[in-house]
Amino acid sequence: MSVIPLPKKQAESLLRVRDLKMHFPVKEGIFMRTGKYNKAVDGVSLDIAPGETLGLVGESGCGKSTLGRCIARLYQPTAGEISFEGQDIAKLGRKPLMPFRRDIQMIFQDPMESLNSRHTVAQILEEPFQVHKIGNREFRQKRVKELLDLVGLPARSVTRYPFEFSGGQRQRIGIARSIALNPKLIICDEPVSALDVSIQSQILNLLIDLQKEFNLSYLFIAHDLAVVKHISDRIAIMYLGKIVESGVGESIYRTARHPYTQSLISAIPVPDPHHVAHRQILVGDVPSPINPPSGCNFHTRCPQAMEICSTVVPTLSDETQPVSCLLYEASKT
Amino acid sequence: MSDVIISVKNLVTEFATDEGRVRAVDDISFDIKAGETLGIVGESGCGKSVTALSIMRLLPQPIGQIMGGEILLQGENLVDMSIEQMQKIRGARIGMVFQEPMTALNPVHTIGRQLTEVILLHKKVSKEKALKEGIAMLDKVGIPAPDIRMTEYPHQLSGGMRQRVVIAMALACQPSLLIADEPTTALDVTIQAQILELIKELQNEMGMSVLLITHDLGVIAETSASVVVMYAGKVAERGSVYDIFDRPTHPYTRGLLESIPRLDTEPKSKLTIIPGMVPGLLDMPKGCRFENRCRYRKDACLVAPPTTETIADGHEVACYEWRELKTNVGGGGDSVNFKLSAVA
Repeated sequence: MSVIPLPKKQAESLLRVRDLKMHFPVKEGIFMRTGKYNKAVDGVSLDIAPGETLGLVGESGCGKSTLGRCIARLYQPTAGEISFEGQDIAKLGRKPLMPFRRDIQMIFQDPMESLNSRHTVAQILEEPFQVHKIGNREFRQKRVKELLDLVGLPARSVTRYPFEFSGGQRQRIGIARSIALNPKLIICDEPVSALDVSIQSQILNLLIDLQKEFNLSYLFIAHDLAVVKHISDRIAIMYLGKIVESGVGESIYRTARHPYTQSLISAIPVPDPHHVAHRQILVGDVPSPINPPSGCNFHTRCPQAMEICSTVVPTLSDETQPVSCLLYEASKT
Repeated sequence: MSDVIISVKNLVTEFATDEGRVRAVDDISFDIKAGETLGIVGESGCGKSVTALSIMRLLPQPIGQIMGGEILLQGENLVDMSIEQMQKIRGARIGMVFQEPMTALNPVHTIGRQLTEVILLHKKVSKEKALKEGIAMLDKVGIPAPDIRMTEYPHQLSGGMRQRVVIAMALACQPSLLIADEPTTALDVTIQAQILELIKELQNEMGMSVLLITHDLGVIAETSASVVVMYAGKVAERGSVYDIFDRPTHPYTRGLLESIPRLDTEPKSKLTIIPGMVPGLLDMPKGCRFENRCRYRKDACLVAPPTTETIADGHEVACYEWRELKTNVGGGGDSVNFKLSAVA
């Protein structure tokens, strides 16, 4: 089985995911029997190097958030390996997982929902230290001030509540909380999708600055390819629980190989009225992951589908820009 | 001016809140010609949706009120119309598509019932005829097996399909104006491409005008012939799509265009930002509303709001510094080159 190769100079990976599966049971009928499984993540392998950003792009329902939550171990994956600094954390229980929770943090899309509305900013930012029993009160207060400064919020914010802030400022609080314990990897799940354009660029700049300062690794999950390309070193494209193509951002965008990647890129509206879109409009919707199509699961919408695609399941190729498509497997043999 | 479908003149809309009256839309004007698409772009809270609701006379009652100005639909002033008169216009002469199709559809009624309701309300046709028209309309918006879909409920459809149903309802009576308020924001890019293409096709076929409201400059560039850039309830800049993207003059328009990450920008490079955030409607600056975030601010900007000035044919800007700004488009200073190489 092939994996997404790391850039040569960073042979050592911080995070190593192999053949990860997350299947949710679907309860049906009057006896609530488990008949089918929602294969939200179905055999994903990836690596992230220290200080690197891996962008994860896909449409809603493709399993990108589920993958992020598995890596943060908010879910117990059905199968597969999640190695963090060499240790497999996929099956660890609550207690042995605690030290890893410090190292892997998460930023959510909607800061209003991910911040406790009844807590002040000070309480929100002190909580990670309390949970992990780090430092005394004085240390925590000092650290909270430092964190606020790092994310560009005034020190007087400590006594305020989340509702007193704008969307962009709330996301800054969420970011401050995520970096509180000096993590190594942050899972960013659509961190700028709910923000206005002028605020979005502020938050992206902040994330890039923090990464440089603390050598953070990001798994950056978003549906906006332009945003992902801007912040990522490498990009992986996901469709129905599987990675269909990955590679360096620039080459994904310039020389996309998978028909899904190609149509995804062509669907993005370009903010330039002189641009003539050569659009490959995909027909239909993303099929349900409970009943995915046979063979290549993209064949129902693929503009270049062949007969063989409905029966043979493609695998991710072993190249610098791996792609999971029979078009390329056929050309090799 | 006979080919102008809708003309909004000096529209002022206010809301009565507990803290006092706020002006959500302050003196905005624009025209849309027959068959043309006008895009309104701006960030949340800039008044773009309130503008649409004012035109439809669907402002939340009793707190929202049109305080001044005219909204002329083919010469008739909608501001003066009674509730009954407006009901004859909504759905028949102006169709509307909202952001979230699930909230625009009634979850307990079938698609067929909701679609034929529009037709029966505005046309003198029999139920059978309305049903037929409804099926034809669903077919037109690209819904497979439309006769089966008519008997289904909104929750049985995907997001993209629901938005198609909403478009079918909005267009069932061949309106002369379609107002689309963030019609694709809740949808994935591949579905967005389908919906935008559909609106374009139907527009060509039926010859209606479209008022498209969005925060996405990409969508604007692709669909609109003319553009209104709104900021904090006022028009910052107005012009053809080429004026706005090739010769942006208002500092806010420039800031917006510079701050979006593009597919061809250098990865991890610093994005230009607009510092700070939109002021609350209750504590608007006395002068120009963009003053606290503007890098070209001069003393005059703090005193009184700038008036809208025509800087070229059809290109209007509300900024004291426009003469200065107009000369440095595309080179020098801190403005960037907006002539982007077309993405291959």
